[in-house]
Amino acid sequence: MTAAAPAMERTQDVVVRRKVKQRRDWAKWGLGGYFVLFLIFLYIPIILMAILSFQGSYGQLTFPFRGPVSLDWWKTLFDSNVPNTVSDDVSASGRQSLWLSLVAGGIVAVLGFSLSMAFRRRWRFKSDVVAFYVIMLALMTPAFLVGLGNQLLWKFMGKTPNLWETALGANVVWGIPFSFLVMLAVWNRYDRHIEEAARDLGANAATTFREVTLPLVWTGIFGSFLFGFTLTWNDFDRTILLQNGYEAQPLPILIGTWPSSRPILPNLYALGAGTTAVTLLLLLLALVVVTVRLRFRSTPQQQAAEELGEAVGLGGAGGLAERAK
Amino acid sequence: MPSSSTSEPPRGDETTRLAIEEVEEAEAILEQRPPKAEGAQGEGVRGGRSGGWLTTGLAAPGFLYLGFYLLAPLVVIVLVSFWTRSDAAGGFDRVWTTANYANLFHDSTYWNNMLTTFETSLIAVGACLVLGFPVAYFLALKVQSLRMQIVLFIVALAPFWTSFLTRAIAWTFPLMGSEGALNQVLIKLHLVSHPVQQFGFSLLSVRLAMIQLYILFMITPLFFTLAQVDRSAIEAARDLGGNWWRMFLEVILPQTMPGVVIGSIFIFVLTMGDYGTVNTIGGGNITSVGTIVKSRVDVPDYPSGAAAAVLLVIVLMFGVWVITRFANLREEL
Repeated sequence: MTAAAPAMERTQDVVVRRKVKQRRDWAKWGLGGYFVLFLIFLYIPIILMAILSFQGSYGQLTFPFRGPVSLDWWKTLFDSNVPNTVSDDVSASGRQSLWLSLVAGGIVAVLGFSLSMAFRRRWRFKSDVVAFYVIMLALMTPAFLVGLGNQLLWKFMGKTPNLWETALGANVVWGIPFSFLVMLAVWNRYDRHIEEAARDLGANAATTFREVTLPLVWTGIFGSFLFGFTLTWNDFDRTILLQNGYEAQPLPILIGTWPSSRPILPNLYALGAGTTAVTLLLLLLALVVVTVRLRFRSTPQQQAAEELGEAVGLGGAGGLAERAK
Repeated sequence: MPSSSTSEPPRGDETTRLAIEEVEEAEAILEQRPPKAEGAQGEGVRGGRSGGWLTTGLAAPGFLYLGFYLLAPLVVIVLVSFWTRSDAAGGFDRVWTTANYANLFHDSTYWNNMLTTFETSLIAVGACLVLGFPVAYFLALKVQSLRMQIVLFIVALAPFWTSFLTRAIAWTFPLMGSEGALNQVLIKLHLVSHPVQQFGFSLLSVRLAMIQLYILFMITPLFFTLAQVDRSAIEAARDLGGNWWRMFLEVILPQTMPGVVIGSIFIFVLTMGDYGTVNTIGGGNITSVGTIVKSRVDVPDYPSGAAAAVLLVIVLMFGVWVITRFANLREEL
């Protein structure tokens, strides 16, 4: 279009910029369209499931949707006075799952955090490679092997596998590498000079840890907790081999054994959609927490300045006072 | 600060040395400097530091836990696979035998299943790579704003946190099957005249579901490695007149290999060892190595189940070894 541009103009810039822009746009829209298709592929089963859970009382397992739109099938999960009720099992399983997942999340957060601290201290050691591979082994071992192994270990010790001693442990093993990797990512971006500064200003190790280190990395610890929680909340392959019939089943076991143990009705869909919704809500909560946190600190430098201010203002001064005595 | 119990140089000297050393260390971490020869020296010097005990204390709980709930169980599987089956309460006698393996080697059902499972895994790895790469590429290189990138990545990743089993059930009953939504849509569109029976409780359905369930394990490492690709190298390749394909092969792909390898290992291991998905989506018609082991354990015949599991692990380790030949992960991590 600007073919008759004067020779003095820096034509090379103009040409290059236009060319790149055109090519990028085309590929971007094509890939964007593909991305949308991918999301549909990813989400369609669970969306269909959720839709079918809102059918009327004549609801079936497949389309067409048999109306009217109602919460009848959701009610069977919570109300013991409606037909087809499963409320007793659901509430027992729900409580079991909730406690199990909370405890697993807590243990995963603590263990993952302390492991990552140990690695942070010995960053350059050769022996770390072996330790690192052990942690990755926890990630790579197929679920049912961990389940089978723990079952056999318990038999070997002459005990019966159970949820709180065996299944919990196997689930935590699955959570540890995720927590560890999250914490490593956090430490990677972490500026150690802040700790140096705090120590130089007179804070002792405990104060530095409490007032400087923890506030800076607690989002990572919270993320570890969420990993532990959701992995346990959803686990089937490990737990199925490690529970005995005498305890209330966790929700995934209830869902997983449902097709072979009771009539499949749309309330199974409601239960599946419900547990998925809980997980997604937790994820949303985590994002809100992180976003709110990020809003307070835009750059790492600012972060450092803020935290340092806090540390010096509160803990640092306290530590200094203690030392002066 | 806790002080050391071992003999140390004078106090003032030590603190200075520590301060310098720690600053250096922090800088090395911050700049992602690769460990050098000085690391070996540092090991010796720091071995006598009081921090060694703290490090051990920090690492101990985690490794004790992993030792008890991961390593010990794996060892027990190997042990039990060499023991004899018994009908007593424990399920096995500690009498050494190799009969479990001898029986397995002649068990054609087991090896056919191993082959089918292996095929399923290869298809899953290939399909996840081919289908997942454009997604990761789009997210990492085509979405310009960081905020948009994070949002889209989380939207794509969210199903990972939800139950695989629930997703498998959602896959089976509402979507697939002779009366499932997919068949209904195909009939409405006049693409087929009769419902496709292969959609329900079949190997095809299992394989499609595997892609759907596990593809995120490929996209995540791909995304992270693609996001680290040197943009200026891409620009340079373009400026030097290379077409997109050559730029992809010579600039992007080599830098993405670690992600490809990690994702492939994930999907290979997860699909080879899968039990719950095959059982739910196959509806009991489809077997894999995982379901065979499970059915033997249910009998209960622990030794033969354990032997079947050990052979699976050997195949897994071989597969992972082959995959890691494509990139030097140790250096990348």
